[in-house]
Amino acid sequence: MSAVRRWLFSLGRFALFCGDFLKAAIRQPPPPGATMAEAYRIGIRSMPILLIISAFVGTNLSLQGYYAFKPLGGQSLVGMFVALAGVRELAPIIAASMIAAKAGTEMASQIAVMRIQQQIDALEVMAVNPHWYLITPRLLGIVLVMPALTTIAMYVMVAAAYVVGVYQLGLNGAEFLEFAVQAADTRDLFYGGLKAMIFGVIICMVSCYNGFYSGHGARGVGTATNTAVVTAAVTCVVLNYFISEMVYG
Amino acid sequence: MEWLATLGRFGLFAGRVARRLIHPSWRLGDFTQQLYLVTTRCLGPVIAVTLPFGMVIALQGLQIFAMFGSEHLLASLVSVTVIRELSPVLASVLVAAQGGSAFAAELGSMRIKEEIDATEVMAVDGIAYHVVPRVLAVTLACPMLNLVGSIAGIAGAFITAVVFRGEQAGVFMAQLWAFTQPSDLWGSLLKTAIFGVIIGLISCYHGYNASGGAAGVGKAVNETVVYSVLAFITANYFLTTALFGQSS
Repeated sequence: MSAVRRWLFSLGRFALFCGDFLKAAIRQPPPPGATMAEAYRIGIRSMPILLIISAFVGTNLSLQGYYAFKPLGGQSLVGMFVALAGVRELAPIIAASMIAAKAGTEMASQIAVMRIQQQIDALEVMAVNPHWYLITPRLLGIVLVMPALTTIAMYVMVAAAYVVGVYQLGLNGAEFLEFAVQAADTRDLFYGGLKAMIFGVIICMVSCYNGFYSGHGARGVGTATNTAVVTAAVTCVVLNYFISEMVYG
Repeated sequence: MEWLATLGRFGLFAGRVARRLIHPSWRLGDFTQQLYLVTTRCLGPVIAVTLPFGMVIALQGLQIFAMFGSEHLLASLVSVTVIRELSPVLASVLVAAQGGSAFAAELGSMRIKEEIDATEVMAVDGIAYHVVPRVLAVTLACPMLNLVGSIAGIAGAFITAVVFRGEQAGVFMAQLWAFTQPSDLWGSLLKTAIFGVIIGLISCYHGYNASGGAAGVGKAVNETVVYSVLAFITANYFLTTALFGQSS
């Protein structure tokens, strides 16, 4: 198969996979207890990584804003730049790519291992719908925690930017906060949460799909995990542009 | 304590790789093959991420500058942020997610299937044969992909600002290099080369030391992406302060 045909085949199979999942998810309530366990696993276990990364992204935003606006004499704009870029765009994207890297790859490799060890076939033999049993709790869990994680990332980013701006670059703290508050409002928090939920759905479906149709053996699991994180991250960034265009354009 | 032990093992691994590098027992052919593989694998994802991100910067940047009636400065802001910060970080995240995790998957499955043991039984040094070409390849590929990412990011900003928002193309091009110096480009390339070393070492370490069957390979891939992104984003803060702290 040529690359284009393979891509189209994969896209079609992904659509059918989502359709199968929806059909299964509507018919039955989610498996009891599993949703909170997944939410814990995705949310709490990804937290340290997310905190460190958003802090360092925030520090860099401050540094870059400072050097970018210095020639214009508008160093006071750093707060505004940090709030706009960090809260509106970078926090959702960074949270999505880190969750794709941490939780998404975990989902893909778990499900891929189940596939190659024929545990998914075993589920089917026991008349348990694998789409329902494996994906529903993961999807609900990730949709539940993504907005919270993104909001935390926003605050950490702005806080880290404040620390670097005030203590390393010597900006005026009150001015920084004033411009930051001016630039970002509750609307941005709301849209950030909305973006995060959409990204959560994408990460979960793409990772589970890649795990579900994993190739054979150890290499198959590795490839499935690899493809899952790249596809999820790229889809989120591309979609982010369209959402931003619709919301802020 | 477990954490310290892992760090120590990683340090020893990096030392072994460095020793093979000075004492060249690796082959140029393996290196060029890995370089080709990693660049072609990552090229699509890097462009697919930096282009929309450039478009988003233009979208948000125009709003900031519109408040001060200085939309003409957009291009300067875009070129500075894309070249210094966004393209290096985003391109490296994608190289870690695509190239680094592929290394971990390949080496991990070789380890699980005892192919690495087989090469060592044949008196071929596993690290020189499998690891060194990959680390070198990703070290060189990262700056190259960063260049492509910078061009794609600026092109994305151009598309939004000029094609969709009707800013003047001439003004955009004229202001593009107003604040950007050659040192920004060199700094950006140096940064990504360092990120490349980090990605290469971390991915090969996790792949080379994978254990526990197919699940172990999945875990190796997972940890590769997480830890390499963590490591180079932390390094990025210090590098940005060191490289661009004094300029302009």
